Amino acid sequence: MRDRPTFSPMWSRVHAMKPRLRSHTQITRQHYRGKRWHVVHDPASNQFYRLTPMAYEFVCLLDGKRSVEETWHLCLETHGDSAPTQVEAVELISQLYNANLLMAEETPETEQLLNRARQRVKKKAIGQAMGIMYFRIRLFNPDAIFTAVEPIVRPLINRWGFIAWCVLMLSALVALAGEAGTLFDSERFQGAIAPANWPWLIVVFIVSKIIHESGHGLVCKRFGGQVPEFGIMMLVMFPAPFVDASSTWAFASKWKRVAVGAAGMIFELAGAAIAGVVWLATLDTGGVVNQFAYNAMLTASISTIIFNANPLMRFDGYYILSDLLEAPNLMQRAQNLIKYQFQRYYYRVKNAKPPTVQPGERPVLIAYGWLALAYRVFLFFSITLFVMGQLFGLGLVLAIWTASVWFIIPVGKWTHWLATNPQLAEKRGRAVLASIGGIALAGVLLGGVPMPDHRRASAVIESEQFTGVYAGTAGFVEDVLVEPGQLVEEGQAIAVAENPELEAQLAQAQGQFRELEARFRDAMAQEVPIADLMTERRAVLQERVAFLQKRVDELTIRAPHAGHISDDPRALAGMYVQQGEPVCAVVATEDIRVVASMDQREADWLQTMSFEQDFTAQIRRRTQPGVSHEVTTFVRRDAGDRALPHPALADVGGGQVQTDRQAMQQGSQGAQATTPRFIVEMDADFAASGSGAVPLPGERVAVRFTLPPRPLISQWVDRLRQLVQGRIDI
Amino acid sequence: MQATPSMPESMPSPGGGQAAHDLTRYEVMYQALRARQRKPAHYTGLDKVAVMARARADRLRVTRRSLMAEANRIDALRPGIFDLSESQLDESLRASREAFVRGRADDEQLRQALGLLREIARRETGQEPYVVQLAGALGLYHGRVIEMATGEGKTLTGSIAAPLIAWSRSRLHVLTVNDYLAARDAESRAPIYTRCGLTVGAITQEMPPAERAGVYARHIVYGTPKQITADWLRDQLRIGRLKTPWSGRQALTRLGHSPQAAGLAPLVPGLHAAIVDEADAVLIDEGVVPLIIAQPRKEDEMSGVYHAAARIASRLDEGPDYTIEHVRRRAELKRRGRDRLADFFGEESDPIWRAPRRAEELIKQALAARHCYLRGHQYQVVDGRVVIVDEYTGRYLADRSWEHGLHQAVEAKEGVEVTADRETLARVSFQRFFRSYRFLGGMSGTVVDGRGEIEAVYQRPVIAIPTNRPLIRERWPTRIFRSSSAKFAAIVDSIVAQHAQGRPVLVGTRSIEVSERVSERLEARGLAHQVLNANFDETEAELIAQAGRSGAITVATNMAGRGTDILLDERATEAGGLHVILTELHASKRIDRQFIGRSGRQGDPGSAQIFTSLEDELLVHNMAPLAAFIRRRTAREEISRDRLARFAVRQAQKKAEARDRINRGHVLRQDDWIEKHLPGG
Repeated sequence: MRDRPTFSPMWSRVHAMKPRLRSHTQITRQHYRGKRWHVVHDPASNQFYRLTPMAYEFVCLLDGKRSVEETWHLCLETHGDSAPTQVEAVELISQLYNANLLMAEETPETEQLLNRARQRVKKKAIGQAMGIMYFRIRLFNPDAIFTAVEPIVRPLINRWGFIAWCVLMLSALVALAGEAGTLFDSERFQGAIAPANWPWLIVVFIVSKIIHESGHGLVCKRFGGQVPEFGIMMLVMFPAPFVDASSTWAFASKWKRVAVGAAGMIFELAGAAIAGVVWLATLDTGGVVNQFAYNAMLTASISTIIFNANPLMRFDGYYILSDLLEAPNLMQRAQNLIKYQFQRYYYRVKNAKPPTVQPGERPVLIAYGWLALAYRVFLFFSITLFVMGQLFGLGLVLAIWTASVWFIIPVGKWTHWLATNPQLAEKRGRAVLASIGGIALAGVLLGGVPMPDHRRASAVIESEQFTGVYAGTAGFVEDVLVEPGQLVEEGQAIAVAENPELEAQLAQAQGQFRELEARFRDAMAQEVPIADLMTERRAVLQERVAFLQKRVDELTIRAPHAGHISDDPRALAGMYVQQGEPVCAVVATEDIRVVASMDQREADWLQTMSFEQDFTAQIRRRTQPGVSHEVTTFVRRDAGDRALPHPALADVGGGQVQTDRQAMQQGSQGAQATTPRFIVEMDADFAASGSGAVPLPGERVAVRFTLPPRPLISQWVDRLRQLVQGRIDI
Repeated sequence: MQATPSMPESMPSPGGGQAAHDLTRYEVMYQALRARQRKPAHYTGLDKVAVMARARADRLRVTRRSLMAEANRIDALRPGIFDLSESQLDESLRASREAFVRGRADDEQLRQALGLLREIARRETGQEPYVVQLAGALGLYHGRVIEMATGEGKTLTGSIAAPLIAWSRSRLHVLTVNDYLAARDAESRAPIYTRCGLTVGAITQEMPPAERAGVYARHIVYGTPKQITADWLRDQLRIGRLKTPWSGRQALTRLGHSPQAAGLAPLVPGLHAAIVDEADAVLIDEGVVPLIIAQPRKEDEMSGVYHAAARIASRLDEGPDYTIEHVRRRAELKRRGRDRLADFFGEESDPIWRAPRRAEELIKQALAARHCYLRGHQYQVVDGRVVIVDEYTGRYLADRSWEHGLHQAVEAKEGVEVTADRETLARVSFQRFFRSYRFLGGMSGTVVDGRGEIEAVYQRPVIAIPTNRPLIRERWPTRIFRSSSAKFAAIVDSIVAQHAQGRPVLVGTRSIEVSERVSERLEARGLAHQVLNANFDETEAELIAQAGRSGAITVATNMAGRGTDILLDERATEAGGLHVILTELHASKRIDRQFIGRSGRQGDPGSAQIFTSLEDELLVHNMAPLAAFIRRRTAREEISRDRLARFAVRQAQKKAEARDRINRGHVLRQDDWIEKHLPGG
């Protein structure tokens, strides 16, 4: 149990004062998890403060005529133990005072007011500098605009409007589902995000984000809030508009707060739905309108879902979630709770100050806090690695800055806390030991315990002997005699087809031939000249019979050479195959190779390690997730040049290797990578791992190299070095 | 020579006094409000680094070497000044003074002035400052905190620096350790100051407020930090909401000469300059507890409640019901204790016991009073009243009381009459108060250990001044014992041994209780001795002055007779000088050094030895597990050579020092928080 000392050493400073709330503050009553709270709002400075009913009563008793001391005694008399203690009263007064909500003396304390304003500006500036990943630029006050526009859209902003929106969304979804194939056609999508389309995308993005922000603004206005700020936030150098709708926090109804939070997405998705309908309507005509609608639909839906709906960042989703959970200040309290738990249970600080937690809120806060932390770490690495990949220098600056804000400063603060926190006074030794122990444990785990070390590369299948099997004769496939992956002999029957017409023709031809034969023999006996004539005819007929016979034989489809069956010919059973239609392929297993191209920087270990002694490799095919094929032989072709062994590996061919487009334009042979590569050839035991079609040449597969286990730290250091190598020593 | 008051009206200051240094009430108000507006900032983060760096740089600018060189240059002026006639001397002095008052004194004039002051000190008091004292005075003039070994004549050093500072800063407070020293020094230094055209006075505890105004109006005011701080704090209460000199003037004009105006009048005319004697004690050690002005709380009769709390607390058992944190002086209730309390509360009739939080708080306080506040250590019962004993110095703090009901809990425990709880009207930390001075200098025998803190908190560089004669005091190795009784036996043996050689022995204790314990043992051996308990009066000063006679045995708490030289007689010098015995380690190495510094003054022979035991408070509170381990490991009584024991003793003191440092930091931070976050600054 936490102490609530009655007396405060600072009481003397405030006890004689007669403060009161500033006259223009507004107080609304809100309920969080069934508990009543009072939110004090200063519309002039847009500051908020949340009071418990007890604190509210205390503040209300401060009317400018009663002294703090008298008020305190009044509270004590009426509420006894639950009345605020001196310590709590001092804290309350100081917080209200610092939020400029409390007026302490008749004459305004101009100097302190100014000082506080200065502090606030400074704090804001520091906050800006710290959050370089989302830098805010304030532009103007849009309140007048929203006030003017709001009456126009007012009829829409109610529950009927919401139902209409739901209907719109549903019908758009249903309509689009019919064209899902076209919608997600990769070529179209690639086209939409190709650099050539960027100007369009940017225009569309700005328009849809303005719609989004107006959504917030209008709904906020609709419910009586104010929107004092419009600006642009730089999200990792990517501009996104924002409005300040924080006056929403004073709304008494949770659903109104949620509505304002969700309004941006609602408006934007409505835009996306309309764009979708337009796209559908103009699908046949095509043209600019169609393309534009496609872009608009994508931007307005995807960006909203990725950015705004995500509750782990402080965007719309966060505020919606926090209102829905009735957990205000979710992020901060979650962080504080985790901090508190660390102090309380790891450092055993008995008097650690817990953040206010409502009943039932604890698990939510803890889960949210850890998730947000994990997300933050993930975001840090993905963003910085992405930016580093694009613009190395800038990425490095960003990484260093963000790392210092997110990691180094907190660690510094933590050290400072450890060194100076008075609550730790008696346990400092223990706390320091515990910290060192924790760090040492983490160090041992990361730096001492060997962990599996895997490296990945993308590869492509190549084969010397690979033969397609085609239907030689058209016909209905009667029976398929093999399974995919089955090993077949040369000439083994794969499938048997039926072609009654052909067989009838054969029978007819054979009959004719027999008839002619009989007549020929007859003629030979009677008139020789006629027999001569018939000889010619007989040869023709014989030829035809042989031809038809061959065609009929070809109805039994046979393997051209020994090997594995690739693809599934069973799919053809009962179907009619045209002549020349592919049935399956036979792949000579001995000749299948997996060829990978690896960046020399990333694969320097190849030079020192040898296959099977030091490392093993497995191959995974995309079509068979979860099945891995062991690599049996491994040969490093010492290439060192940039040529790629197979076009499928290059990014232009859909692979992962960055290619040098200039070199290609200059007409060099094949795809050229931007960095020197190692070419590696491997044989894998595809058959051993059981079922499944044998890989076809040209198929992209993933290779995973299992290196000797090494501590994580040395693995990371290696990777970091690889990332930096060749970029810094230019 | 003072800033001419800008107001046309002039009237005698409230307390009367000599016409030469009367201030108009306007000026007093103006200066007081000006000082009030000056708000020292508490630096944190990079600002702190910058401030520290500036103090470092400052230290490089005025170094010990440069001070000594300058002092030697002043010494070179001596022949020219030595032969001046009295009137010539006065004439030169007047010229110097003018330069200083106008703030235009250059190095040359500083040397000249200090040379003249040295000569005046020689002629007026018969003491001629040594070169090192000149260096010290220069350091003070430059606003340094100087360390001069005990017995090197800090009073004299201060008295030749004081006129320079008073001239250039118009008003100077000299802060001494106790009232007796304040009065004594003000009187003994008066001839020098009068000759310099300066008036001097001393503020003592007995002085009624009406007289104080007159004394504060003088140029140089001697007093204890507590007195001056309390007067200043009362002024703050009195001038209340007046913020600016302008509003002060308006208020005075509006009120005219009505009694209300007199009620508004501040005593202390601003905080211009201060020289702090025993700077480490005042600036560092006293910094733990802020100074408070309190009045009895207007509350219902609570004495029954406190008695009931003491009664209930005595029924709980330590261990199963509660635990005691001796270091933080607080009790922690366990579940069983809480359950039992619920029953006990049911038996009480007062409604306060129905409020569980408050009731529990009262019980915890009663438990803390029971276990952490011990008679003879933290307090003493004098004439049926609980009087706090300063734990650093062992002296009574008759006018202080613990806050928030603790005092009442102790009173209830002792069964004496429970006084009314006092509520704080105003408070200020010494750190904050001293930083409010525009000029601050300090002297001490042992300040170098606290250098970092003084530079960080007060931004005053610390300089050590060399001794006039080499120090020949011997420091005998510390003796460590298993038990306290063995320690005292050894102490008495040691006293007897030294006494037999004819050496005077001074025994330092941390508390009156220990003094009495030693005294009993000495009596049992039939040894005549004196016991001094820090009453700070003339008899005590005389007794301590005689502690240097051959064969004298003096038992004193460590503050007793401070500021008085212990002069050795011839036989004592021959026998090897004063031997100082410390009966236990103090919470800070500096305080040990302060006491040890009693011997070996001015190149006298002397020796010192510390006795400590595993049962000493310092070890019990700070190194309990290790001390217990050492006790188990060995059966020998004396464990002075045990490395682990030596380590434990050293560590215990370090730990105590660190904790005090943190507490002081806490006071500072709290000050800062109040300033920043609470209205009405």
